[in-house]
Amino acid sequence: MIQKLVNILLVEDDEVDVMNVKRAFSKNNIKNELFVAGNGVEALDMLRTSIVPLPRIIILDINMPKMNGIEFLKNLRDDENLKNISVFVMTTSNEDSDKINAYNLNVAGYILKPLSFEKFITSVATLKNFWSLCEM
Amino acid sequence: MVGANILLVDTCKTYFENAAKAFSEIGIQATLRFAKNDIEAWSMLKGDDKLLPIPKIMLIDINAEGLNGIDLINKIRLDFELKSILIFVVSDVNNSENKRAALNLNIAGYMHKPFEKGEMIDFFSTLNDYWNSIEFSS
Repeated sequence: MIQKLVNILLVEDDEVDVMNVKRAFSKNNIKNELFVAGNGVEALDMLRTSIVPLPRIIILDINMPKMNGIEFLKNLRDDENLKNISVFVMTTSNEDSDKINAYNLNVAGYILKPLSFEKFITSVATLKNFWSLCEM
Repeated sequence: MVGANILLVDTCKTYFENAAKAFSEIGIQATLRFAKNDIEAWSMLKGDDKLLPIPKIMLIDINAEGLNGIDLINKIRLDFELKSILIFVVSDVNNSENKRAALNLNIAGYMHKPFEKGEMIDFFSTLNDYWNSIEFSS
């Protein structure tokens, strides 16, 4: 995935977390273009209007205003043109119901948001290594 | 991962044995199970003697002859109890039709299948790091 420079859409309402992801990408030397949507409605719009070009993957927060991560996932999986996109949840929610709902909607992974920036870098590095094994 | 079952579906028993060796060498805390085709896999997931706990992770070679991987993934996705399984597809041949079909069934990753020992260790180490970094439902 990484070699082909997949476009990454980060769906996240918290500006500090957006900054952390951007910094962790830069620390890990991830060159993929990063797009940001502040909630599910905005994210669907960016995907449907191809503001985020193919190929693409999504990093998704759960608790967001307007349309939360689970609602967004339902919409994504119901859309013929978007349903095959790989989604990685990154959230502070440790609720079992969120994990069950996310995996039932076939996310590729559910990651708890690391509390320190150092751990953020490690988490993103693990994701990068996994992405490097995957073909789109 | 401790006590978990990971199900490998592959027509080659030797491949499973080599993968199991790599698992033990890396120290992966889950038990690797083996099904030689989609039919055997389905009975291990849904039959009278099904695997318990139900695997949360599967590895499937979808292009192996005599194994209908796409059919298997399709059935898993339609089954209430199994649909949430993380499915990692491995293959050493190019079959863009199968690849597209697998990606449409929301597999967690489509990956080049490693064979040589060092390659297998690297591959499963990276996967194991990833598995350890994600949360599963209890």
